[in-house]
Amino acid sequence: MWGQIKQALAQSTAQFLTRLASLLPGVVALVLALVVSIILGCILAAIVRRFLGAVQFDQRLARWGVPSLAEWSPANSPTLLVSRAIAAFVIFAGLLIGIAAFDAEWTSLFVRSVFAYIPNVLGAALVLFVGSVIARFLGRSVLIGAVNLNLQYARFLSVGVKWLVVVLAVAMALEHLRIAPGIVELAFGILFGGIVFALALAVGLGSKDLVTKSLERDAQKASAENIEEPFRHV
Amino acid sequence: MEVEPLPQQAQEKIEPAKTADLVIGIVPELDHEALVALRDGLRTLSGSPRVAILIDDRTPQPDPASPEAFEKSGDPFLVPWPKLTPDTPGTPTASMANAYQSVFAACEQFGAQACGVITSKLETASSDWIRQLVRPLLEDGVDLVAPRYARHKFEGLLNSSIIAPLTRCLYGKRIHNPMGPDLGISRRLFQKLTPTDRNPGSAVNRGNPLASIAPGALCNSLQVCEVYVAARIYPATDWTNFSSILAQVLSPLFLDMERYATCWQRTRNSVPVPAIGDPVSVSQETGTVDISRLVESFQLANRDLQEIWGLVLPPSTLVALRKISRLPVEQFRMPDDLWVRIVFDFALGHHLRIINRDHLLKSMTPLYLAWVASYAQGLASAGAATLDQTLERLSVAYETGKPYLVSRWRWPDRFNP
Repeated sequence: MWGQIKQALAQSTAQFLTRLASLLPGVVALVLALVVSIILGCILAAIVRRFLGAVQFDQRLARWGVPSLAEWSPANSPTLLVSRAIAAFVIFAGLLIGIAAFDAEWTSLFVRSVFAYIPNVLGAALVLFVGSVIARFLGRSVLIGAVNLNLQYARFLSVGVKWLVVVLAVAMALEHLRIAPGIVELAFGILFGGIVFALALAVGLGSKDLVTKSLERDAQKASAENIEEPFRHV
Repeated sequence: MEVEPLPQQAQEKIEPAKTADLVIGIVPELDHEALVALRDGLRTLSGSPRVAILIDDRTPQPDPASPEAFEKSGDPFLVPWPKLTPDTPGTPTASMANAYQSVFAACEQFGAQACGVITSKLETASSDWIRQLVRPLLEDGVDLVAPRYARHKFEGLLNSSIIAPLTRCLYGKRIHNPMGPDLGISRRLFQKLTPTDRNPGSAVNRGNPLASIAPGALCNSLQVCEVYVAARIYPATDWTNFSSILAQVLSPLFLDMERYATCWQRTRNSVPVPAIGDPVSVSQETGTVDISRLVESFQLANRDLQEIWGLVLPPSTLVALRKISRLPVEQFRMPDDLWVRIVFDFALGHHLRIINRDHLLKSMTPLYLAWVASYAQGLASAGAATLDQTLERLSVAYETGKPYLVSRWRWPDRFNP
């Protein structure tokens, strides 16, 4: 009886040790992949940081109208954000490669699906970035145009246009990420329609007096200009 | 400034005449009497130069001399010219640029020594001023003849507030209307401005060649003079499109600051240029001037455009603007040095591309209107003498502020409170 127990224990210990031993190369490969990717990530991050610092990336980004990126960045520096994102990406890729080295079927499937998803993430990030730039540009265009037309609600119009574009960009990014596409479509439709409806209501009802006054003033201006406009500029 | 190839239609018109010493492009429509008077006047030019007068081919031609008559008698010859007047109303700078391009192309084709571009109508009926404008080119060897219009205090304000004093402060010559728009230009100056194999970098503003003519002449040390002429008739202000027009005028001016940076940074002080003729006086009477709309426009912008102005203007300027925006209309004043700083900072912002250039220039409109309001307030009941003093004071403020511009142009990242 005792002999049988000892034999069973020995067998299971041997099996455990065999499995552990078979995992060891994978673990070593994982550790090695992690170490290599951390080193590579740090080197790449340093190079990118230097390069972006040399081309004054932070200042340029602010000039291009993307200061919001600075607000999300560590130490308010988009350069730091980009370099750290690159380092994290390399380390994450190293981790996935290390996991794949276990040679188990599920790990390789998992890694393959994660890699297949990366283009979607990059595409969504690009859509968000471009959307943010366009929103800022259009917002400024509307603001300046409306102020030069002496519209009292210039800022309101500008913010409305900006948010319309941002909402559109976010919805497109989520669609690209394939996150609950049905809900995103529905939510976007409701939100976008809501913003347009709110703008229409605000201008049509809420700002009725304002619009009336503005139109009256414009009419007065037009007639005043016809009667007397002593200034000649060009 | 690249000379555009001549259209086939224009080539055919030039062929019989072959050459001319002087080409004058006339954009506004002249009646028969005015054209006859102009031709008679041009006949009195010394040396009997051959003169070709370009008039728009869409306007009725009163009495075109035949090419043969031109060849035989040397009489000024009328050439109906395509596209001399604008196709697109509401874009004055673009149409001016087209007219200049057309005249330069014709000038090149005729091999003329000089050319004149007439785009304005003056308050006097006489067209002799055109002869006076081109005469120094042929008789005195001058390279650029600029008009010195009789000045009404509320006309040509963009020129009075920015173009003339900025040109004076940058290039050191007191030209009252550096961008004409009626100018006489010698072949030498024209060639300096045209890119060649030897000086490919000399190409000037294709968008608005007018802006580059005076800086080109001054930086190449060419002879410049002014001719006193009567008051110009200005078109009424198109308020719906005003910020675009402001951007169209200022953009080439600021671009030329980049192009001629090494030239203007060396220049110190300013000197007058020779003026030919006698000053023409003009009544400075105006009705009641209401500046409340201009001030309101500025106050609205001061509330809403801080985000954009904050990228271009230093904090001290923003504080000063906030202060003057709180002044009641009757006491509204924008100090000269503040206005000069604003112009310099916008020129720097344009140079450094701090934000989109179109946004930058359009956001300057309310500040310009604030200057107009302050200027109108100060000169409401003033005469010609006060007007001259006021504009001289502004020009001196530009010259005094030039070290700030040079310093920030060279070291834009320095601390600027």
